[in-house]
Amino acid sequence: MSQFLQATVYGLLQGGLLALIAVGFSLVWGVMNVINLAHGAFVLIGAYLTFELNQWLGLDPFLAIVPVAAVLFTVGYLVQRGLINLVVKAPIFITLLLTFGLDLVLVNGLILLYSGDYRSVTTGYAGDGFTLLSGVRVPLGRLLAAGVALAFTLILVAMMRRTRTGLAILATGMDRGAARLMGIRARHVYALTFGISTAMAGAAGAAVSAVETFSPADSVRFTLFSFVAAVLGGLGNMYGALIGGILLGLVEAWGGQLLPGTLVNAVAFGLLVVVLAVRPQGIAGRAFYASRVEV
Amino acid sequence: MEASTAPAGTGRGEKAPAPKGRRPAWLPWAAGAVAVLAGLGLQSQLYSGQERTVTTVYMFVALAAAWNLIGGFTGYACFGQVGFFGLGAYTTVILMVHGGLSFWVAWPVSAVVAAVFAAVIGLPLLRLKGHYFAVATLGVAEGLRELVTNVPRWTGGGAGVTIPSTGDLAPTLWLGNDGFYLLFLGLAAVTALISALISRGRTGYALRAINQDEDAAAAMGVNTTRAKTLAFAVSAALTGAIGSAYAFQQVTIYPERLFDVNITVLMIVMVVIGGSGTVAGPVLGALGIAVVSEYLRQHFPQMHSLTLGVLIIAAVILLPQGLVNFVRDAMRTRDFSLLSNVRRYRL
Amino acid sequence: MMHTKKAAAVVAAVALATAGCGSKGEHEASGGGDTLRIGASLSLTGSLAREGGLTKEGYELCRQAVNAKGGVPVGSKKLKLEIQYQDDTSKPDTAAQLVDQFNDKGVKLILGPYGSATTEAAAAVVERNGQVMADSSGADDKIFQKGYKRTFAALSPAHSYAASMVQAINEMAKPKPKTMAFLSADDGFSKTVAESGAEEARRLGFDVVATEYFPSGTSDVSAALTKVKSLKPDVILGSVHVAEGIAIIKQAKELGVTPAGFAETVAPPTPDFAKSLGADAEGTLGSTQWTEKTTGEDKWIGSAADYATAFKAAFGGRAPEYHGAEATAACLALVFAVEHAGSTEPDKVRDAMSALDEQTFFGPLKFTDKGQNLTKKMQVIQIQDGKPVTVWPKDVAESAMIWPGTGKR
Repeated sequence: MSQFLQATVYGLLQGGLLALIAVGFSLVWGVMNVINLAHGAFVLIGAYLTFELNQWLGLDPFLAIVPVAAVLFTVGYLVQRGLINLVVKAPIFITLLLTFGLDLVLVNGLILLYSGDYRSVTTGYAGDGFTLLSGVRVPLGRLLAAGVALAFTLILVAMMRRTRTGLAILATGMDRGAARLMGIRARHVYALTFGISTAMAGAAGAAVSAVETFSPADSVRFTLFSFVAAVLGGLGNMYGALIGGILLGLVEAWGGQLLPGTLVNAVAFGLLVVVLAVRPQGIAGRAFYASRVEV
Repeated sequence: MEASTAPAGTGRGEKAPAPKGRRPAWLPWAAGAVAVLAGLGLQSQLYSGQERTVTTVYMFVALAAAWNLIGGFTGYACFGQVGFFGLGAYTTVILMVHGGLSFWVAWPVSAVVAAVFAAVIGLPLLRLKGHYFAVATLGVAEGLRELVTNVPRWTGGGAGVTIPSTGDLAPTLWLGNDGFYLLFLGLAAVTALISALISRGRTGYALRAINQDEDAAAAMGVNTTRAKTLAFAVSAALTGAIGSAYAFQQVTIYPERLFDVNITVLMIVMVVIGGSGTVAGPVLGALGIAVVSEYLRQHFPQMHSLTLGVLIIAAVILLPQGLVNFVRDAMRTRDFSLLSNVRRYRL
Repeated sequence: MMHTKKAAAVVAAVALATAGCGSKGEHEASGGGDTLRIGASLSLTGSLAREGGLTKEGYELCRQAVNAKGGVPVGSKKLKLEIQYQDDTSKPDTAAQLVDQFNDKGVKLILGPYGSATTEAAAAVVERNGQVMADSSGADDKIFQKGYKRTFAALSPAHSYAASMVQAINEMAKPKPKTMAFLSADDGFSKTVAESGAEEARRLGFDVVATEYFPSGTSDVSAALTKVKSLKPDVILGSVHVAEGIAIIKQAKELGVTPAGFAETVAPPTPDFAKSLGADAEGTLGSTQWTEKTTGEDKWIGSAADYATAFKAAFGGRAPEYHGAEATAACLALVFAVEHAGSTEPDKVRDAMSALDEQTFFGPLKFTDKGQNLTKKMQVIQIQDGKPVTVWPKDVAESAMIWPGTGKR
């Protein structure tokens, strides 16, 4: 029993980290219908920035979230203005390819800069934790990461619902043409959206650097997690990525206890296919996003 | 979905009243035949190892053309195409290693297995649209990989599996670099031929109608489920046959390579850069990308992936509709400016 | 469409002729002139880029050392070493293709790629083409059970990776632990390591309470750790690469899994390990192909300590690790074989290679008829005060094994 509880707790926390990685990806997909294959690379850039800040200034990785997110917001804004906006009206394959090319450039750039070495930021407390009833350990670093994921999701929801910028983003996501007629500058709004997404990716990278190891090859893994979490949760709901990430974490944790360890991923992908076949809009998503045909 | 691919022209002019200076109908076929003959002629000029390199190029020509059937003509972005590749490969391995069957039996069987599998998963999944179809097929391919990894008794699991290809134990002797050159050249030619035939037939029109507006196509009496399932199955059968031949060529295969998502991505890159929904586009795109990436890899060992990334970004921004569609439109409108091309899709 | 297709054929023919390597006329044997040309297919990009880079450094160091002494004596001439690097992007099929391409250029002597899968793919082609390959990192025993006669591994095989640590624990750990749990990645190499390690543990009377597998390259091994937590093993032995190795230590701490000691293949000797784990790395055992304390000397490099000095001088003060050393050793094996053969003919080099019996900075280089190096012993290190320190075998040990290993955290 305690083994099952332990797996559940750990799965929840792991899910929180996955959610943090996925939330920006889900946002861009929902608003612009762009699958950002370079999302994992932005997470990595966040992790490497945190590593540098820790190396030179001794900054704690969780405090580094603020400057890292700010830098990555700027980067994301410029990437959208300068590159993705050029093809955003083209068919979906095109944006897919563009971000694939971007991922190649960023990941191989990181290899040239940092080599393929595994890195992580040591904090001295991230591995510590406390014990709940009957020997269930709760690691501090992952608890913090899950907390950050929750906080970011809540901030995002508040921003989307209560600020003019948020409403403009939502409106543009629903109908770009109509939004432009209402005086919304779509180019700017898209760039803001992408900037927010990369800022979230950067924050996720900071958290990853504290609790895991990372190397440039991890980009694919992060993007794939985001993909699955975004679909499981569903688009068009700001809590979607959070739900999807946590679900993914739990499924992997439980699957890992009941089945041979190597089957864990098979379970996750099996769940993904079943959810799509039965309820394409995801668990909390809106049907509109699954059936929209316009780009 | 992707209503905007269609105006770029998808070979629909073939039977329309010929505009002035229209090429005769037999020319594309002749060009195809010339290309195959050129491939045969090239063989005598190559060393054995170069043959192998060119064989890989042909493999990607065939893969790109096969993906184009479902992704280009029909507009369903199949992100799990490599699943059929791996399925074909592992079917061949199981038949040859555990069944002791000849490659020439295992090969067609692998194609059929892939086709049937595609038809079965196609029924629920082809109802999904856009990215959702993409993710679902990706999930299927990853699931297949995990399955193969987890039955080591049959597939060798992550440790890989070797097809006996020399000596008395071999069901079929290894074909040699010469033999595989011809095999993959043949596969590329057959795949291109099948897409040309489909493109000109009723099914091709049905598929393009689905690509432009599926509801309207259904309203016009197109049996959309039948058409797209057919396209999916044919595409899978070809991909499975290619995977089967690849497995035999490699001798030892591993799940992480046979289900490598990058193979799918490469197919898509090749089709889109060449011109999706056309017959020649995927062929040209595959040739172009394969040759360029091989050249870069040989001459810039550290920088080649980065350079390839930059080239892809540039190609996508300058030629978002693909090379073949751009040239065709440019010939018609007499507007060869890349800049006005960029303006089309800019926000 | 027609123009484009025809153009395609022409473009393809032209591009392939240029991208490939010259026309059929200029076929030149390796060693033509005063250079000895060796081909190396390496993972310079892709998932094994890190290890591929380390291997390349090892090859480069060998080239510098040999050329600094005038080159390889072959008959009356001294041949300068020239290594051609190609990137196999960490994929077995590309590695095989590259070996074929080297063969086209008349390069018959090959230095192995990084990793067992790529090495196995390359070995099949080497055999077919009549080339000779010195394998620097493909340790999986499976490669050597196929009857290949032309692939020679300088390093100790997979089955000794975990077994050496089991032996070290058996000899040195006091109080002697009773139970062991094996955690392994699911690739071929790691599985061979785990299975042979568990066998050795049973042979020596340990109780193997669990063998858990997880996907290779994962950074989440929590499921396996949660499963073994309740079994309370005395030793957790990981058959892993760097990423999974670090994850085991990190997540064991997070989950409160506290055996008396951790032992892991491959990961602990790499600098990444101690760097990214900090104090948590303390006491972890690791097996390694080579350390600076390895005994043996050769005329090109000198001793293991000389190798370390040369390596630091060449690569900005970085200390060498075994990936580089095994690469240098594989390259030396080829150099010695060419020298003994007195020829660059692949068949003669092959025969000289199989008869080789040389002491080097890497230990003895001597191959079985299958091409494995069983003469050389693995060493076991322990992270002590943030540094890997040799603790086994006793004759080269720098320091005693601290046990329980997890006591000093």
